[in-house]
Amino acid sequence: MKTLNTVMAGAVAFGLVATAAPAKAFPNGPIEFTIPFGAGGGADIEGRLLAKEMAKVLGVPLAPVNKPGGGGAITYTYITNSKPDGHVLGWNSTSVLTTTNLGNTTFDYDAMDHIGRVEYQPQPFVVRADAKWNSFKEFVAACKAAPGKLKIANSGTGSSTHTAAIMLMNAAGCDVIHLPKGIKGRNKSVLNGEAHAMIAPLTGAVRLTKAKKLKILLMPTATRSPLFPDVPTAKELGYDVELDLFRGLSVPKGTPNDVKIKLADAMTKAAKSDAFMALAKKKGFTVAPMGHKEFSAFLAAEDAKVKKIFKSAGLYRSKKPK
Amino acid sequence: MSPDALSGLSQASSFLPLISTCIGVFVGLVVGMIPGMTISTGIIIVLPVTFVLPADIAIALLLGLYVGGMTGGSFSAVLLNIPGTPSASATAMDGFTMAAKGEAGRALGIAITASFIGGLFSFLCLFFIAPLLADVALEFRTEDMFSLVFFGLTIICSFAAKSLVKGLLSAALGLALVTIGQDPVMGTSRFTFGEANLMAGVHFLTAMIGLFAIPQLVDNLRASNAGKQAQAKLTSILPKVSDLKAIRLPVCIGSFTGSFLGILPGAGGPIAAFISYDYARKASKKPEQFGEGCAEGVAAPESANNAVTGGALIPMMTLGIPGDPVTAILIGALTIHGLAPGPLLFLERGDFAYGLIWSFFWANIFNFIIAILGLRILVKLLATPRALLMPTVAVLCVIGSYALRNNFFDVYVMLFFGFVGLAMRWLDMPVVPMLLALVLGRSLEENLRVALTSSKGDISIFFTSPISLTFLCLAALSIYWSLRSTRNKVDPYQKEPG
Repeated sequence: MKTLNTVMAGAVAFGLVATAAPAKAFPNGPIEFTIPFGAGGGADIEGRLLAKEMAKVLGVPLAPVNKPGGGGAITYTYITNSKPDGHVLGWNSTSVLTTTNLGNTTFDYDAMDHIGRVEYQPQPFVVRADAKWNSFKEFVAACKAAPGKLKIANSGTGSSTHTAAIMLMNAAGCDVIHLPKGIKGRNKSVLNGEAHAMIAPLTGAVRLTKAKKLKILLMPTATRSPLFPDVPTAKELGYDVELDLFRGLSVPKGTPNDVKIKLADAMTKAAKSDAFMALAKKKGFTVAPMGHKEFSAFLAAEDAKVKKIFKSAGLYRSKKPK
Repeated sequence: MSPDALSGLSQASSFLPLISTCIGVFVGLVVGMIPGMTISTGIIIVLPVTFVLPADIAIALLLGLYVGGMTGGSFSAVLLNIPGTPSASATAMDGFTMAAKGEAGRALGIAITASFIGGLFSFLCLFFIAPLLADVALEFRTEDMFSLVFFGLTIICSFAAKSLVKGLLSAALGLALVTIGQDPVMGTSRFTFGEANLMAGVHFLTAMIGLFAIPQLVDNLRASNAGKQAQAKLTSILPKVSDLKAIRLPVCIGSFTGSFLGILPGAGGPIAAFISYDYARKASKKPEQFGEGCAEGVAAPESANNAVTGGALIPMMTLGIPGDPVTAILIGALTIHGLAPGPLLFLERGDFAYGLIWSFFWANIFNFIIAILGLRILVKLLATPRALLMPTVAVLCVIGSYALRNNFFDVYVMLFFGFVGLAMRWLDMPVVPMLLALVLGRSLEENLRVALTSSKGDISIFFTSPISLTFLCLAALSIYWSLRSTRNKVDPYQKEPG
């Protein structure tokens, strides 16, 4: 019974703190750090550490809150409906472009203000370690010999892995079956041979690749990953495909500029902290903070890419009011 | 032992997981014991806490509760002739007769010992079978997973014993409710009516809190709370050597049947208890003593319902298929921590998977110790006023459904399901089929549609894969068997199983 009382007391106390924030200089109370995906995943682990480091800079607590669902749609809808005073942050990702263009929200990514990018990671093209293809060229040759037969797994229809897979296959001129196996089923389907290859975020494939169960043939990204320096980028092989999985911060539209500057400063310092850099090294993502202006240009360019691919694949259903 | 098994042992044997196993066992014994509260209620009580705890500690707590609850149910069965949980129904037959003869202490001692042995035996099954099955399950493709989930869904028939129509209707409603939210294959939203909160669909834990807890609360409002008081004096709890000798055979029978039936989805505690009671009577030299208050009649069902726990954890961990509502909740609790049960759990997080198995081992040890030493105090808790207990449960229903996804919308969803649960009770419709449909429905649809994407719409894919074909045959057998056995059997599922 004691534990129950403690929990209830805690819940009541949290409610009081969350509602009683007087209007003083930012930050004047705890900041809610919403994570669009469930606990225990990459977004959650990375987001929680960033929140902890940002709290040290800002001097107020940052409370990580998971609001999963709809490929990020629930979190992004929550952000757009929140008060624009800087006390609600969204830990965004490429999903801010994909779920909006899939029509899961009534708005596009530009319905929010964006503080900046924190990190990104490549989305490698992975096959089983004992697969007969030792390079992407060999895979493409096999694919062209048997059009519509090879299967490529991804994390879900319209996810950033699926988008990258369509881009890569279009560029290579391959006709394949895309299997939306989900985050859980993706690795398993390549391991048991059901799918011939997959696109996965690098952090999701590092463990099994290092254990020699999987091998990476190519990464559709700008520069080679320091974790796997022997793996070529798509550009090196002559395919103009680049789609990384990025993560950054968003706030409700209309957040005052001075607040955004403070948040961007805290975000950059937290990203460069020893703890966060150590996590990046361990998990395989690249810390590369980007300011508001740069990030906005980046988002616009990536959004155009996603829109183009979605339209070509019949996935474009954006509900942004015209 | 493999390195994973060793690191799992050290993980499960560190201070905090051990303490939380103890707390779990204690809570389990209490909720199992109090009539009207089931293991599911107990899980609802600790659920909000498990969201904030690290995964290994949370799971240790839940496993302790699972094991403790199975044993606790026998206390009120023996002392009050009211089984605390449905799984203890069989125990009441001989247990209460013994208590009436003034042998309550002896009966409980035997029940606790039999539970302990049954639990340990099922731990061994879990430890040795689960990793092997996980290796096999890694080879399952999408079409095989569809057939497996379909096989899992055939459990519904055995929960629909009273009226097949009502059971199937309940399941169909559950399957319909699963379609709310994001389409698992296309990613578009379905039946959300523009409400962003519905995009994530109905979480089955939210639904379960509403379906189980709210009707139970209403029941307690209605019922007169006088309740029977346990009069029996408890003397000599530790079983005598002669008793231990007498219960050798029934405990073996119970442990085997319990573990085996636990592995099969859907059979669960009550059925295992009744079947092993039946077998033990047939195998006994003095079958006429059964029902007259004999030690064997307590030992067989008690070892069986505790052996079910380890058995049910095997398909839960390796395949992600729950055998009963409690393992369904465990799946939910694991998933919340990003540890989806399934064959990859052993490959990617072997240390955690073994940690879970070892926590189950400790749960059985503590269950024995706490039950034997604390029996006298625990029995006093039978008199806890409902006026304290029920409001606490009500508050926790709200906290639990909110904390699941930090979304207040889910609290309304929980209340909605509370009304659904009341309506279903009024219509005499079982809720377990709906719960299982909510748990399994999404993966049923997802696997069906991804398999058909993979085969470009050719349904023969489900019959050409040998694994898939095997599961489909098993599903047909399971339907046939449960239809036949429900026709001429008494229904052990008058209450929610647990």
